[in-house]
Amino acid sequence: MKILPIKIENLSYTIKDSEILKNINIFSDEKKITIIAGNNGSGKTTLLKFMHGLIEDPSNSISWGSNSIREIKEQQSMVFQTPILLNRTTFENILYVAKKKKVNKKHSVNKIIEKLNLESISNTDARYLSGGEKQKVAIAMSIIGNPTIIFLDEPTSQLDPVYKNEIESIISELSKDGTKIFMTSHDISQIKRIGEEIIFLDKGEIIFNGKLIEFLDQDISNVIKNYISYG
Amino acid sequence: MLSNILETAFHLIFTLNEDLIEIISLSLKVTISALVISVIISIPFGAFLVLYRNKLQSMVILISNTLMGMPPVVLGLIIYTLVSKRGIFGFLDILYTPSAMIVAQTLLITPIVVSLTYEEIYKKYKDYYLFLNSLNLSNFSKLKTLIYECRYALITVTLTGFGRASAEVGAVMIVGGNINHFTRVMTTAIAFETSKGSIELAVALGLILILISFMITLIIKSLRKIK
Repeated sequence: MKILPIKIENLSYTIKDSEILKNINIFSDEKKITIIAGNNGSGKTTLLKFMHGLIEDPSNSISWGSNSIREIKEQQSMVFQTPILLNRTTFENILYVAKKKKVNKKHSVNKIIEKLNLESISNTDARYLSGGEKQKVAIAMSIIGNPTIIFLDEPTSQLDPVYKNEIESIISELSKDGTKIFMTSHDISQIKRIGEEIIFLDKGEIIFNGKLIEFLDQDISNVIKNYISYG
Repeated sequence: MLSNILETAFHLIFTLNEDLIEIISLSLKVTISALVISVIISIPFGAFLVLYRNKLQSMVILISNTLMGMPPVVLGLIIYTLVSKRGIFGFLDILYTPSAMIVAQTLLITPIVVSLTYEEIYKKYKDYYLFLNSLNLSNFSKLKTLIYECRYALITVTLTGFGRASAEVGAVMIVGGNINHFTRVMTTAIAFETSKGSIELAVALGLILILISFMITLIIKSLRKIK
């Protein structure tokens, strides 16, 4: 199933008279890492949730290739800022998702555990994992069944530099293997390291949508200038 | 005098006195039957209420919470009027039988189990809401996952229901009639034996009830640690 280009046309979202997203238009046709950047409260996570389908889009403003969000649900997964794991072992957490996605269970789980170097914590209860380990398990859960799109909501914002680096490497690897990545971040150094396409939001509006080099080189707006210099 | 009573009570327990065993067996049979029926209804229902949040759900929870505080004798009275010869369920002919006592205990603990199940599963659903929805699961699948994830908490809820049912006296006295060798359970026997001055058997039964309560508390405490 062809999932690109993703097209968002005139998407707006208001909660109790407060405009969270204003007239969002996005066109992206490359399997690269797209970073949705912006300051706190700019609407990054809301936009990501709309793209994933966690927030329903009644106006059908979003399409993936010639498909609606509903049609591509099986091909996507999401990683949250605070990893959400079940009260089970690492292996059982990944197995749970494998069962739900109806993939070759034990074989796939073992392969992913090996790929992300999770062997040492495979039988550890999720409650006893560190923040970084939890996020790695959450990523392992998200890649089972080889989704074509992965959404990551600030996956490294609570991690130390070592885990941050490890998770960025995993994300880059996934992108190289052909997975389309959409990730929110407000960490400018991270955006520089792994970002390829940037969508920059300010107060619910897109004020930049383009390549990383253009984002860093052009003097687009004071908001972006400040964001880059203070980040 | 107290030492004599206690000595006789322990004697009754350790010699496995026939009357004592019969009363304990019936008590456990009635309470466990009521508990099983209640849990089968209440746990899926409590979880269902979490997933299908609407106005009806708020009303059901409100009713359930109100029924939690209903005096057992009032409930016993209501059941009595329903299952007595002139009641709408009179044709069932269950008044003054263990079946009527099971009905009373089931109705007594169901609101408790529904409300506590709802609370536990609602807490868990708030934690897992994004995760479960991101997997595009059916509501049935979410329900199964939530019940499994709350398993220890739900055992605690079940034990709370058991404790409540086994300690109940008013409703089972009204609908069971406290008939010797037929509907006499621990709580009604304690009330009856004490009133006629035969305190030894009442003390022995009281000790057993305290032991059951202690064991339930111990299990709940251990489960809380696991949780």
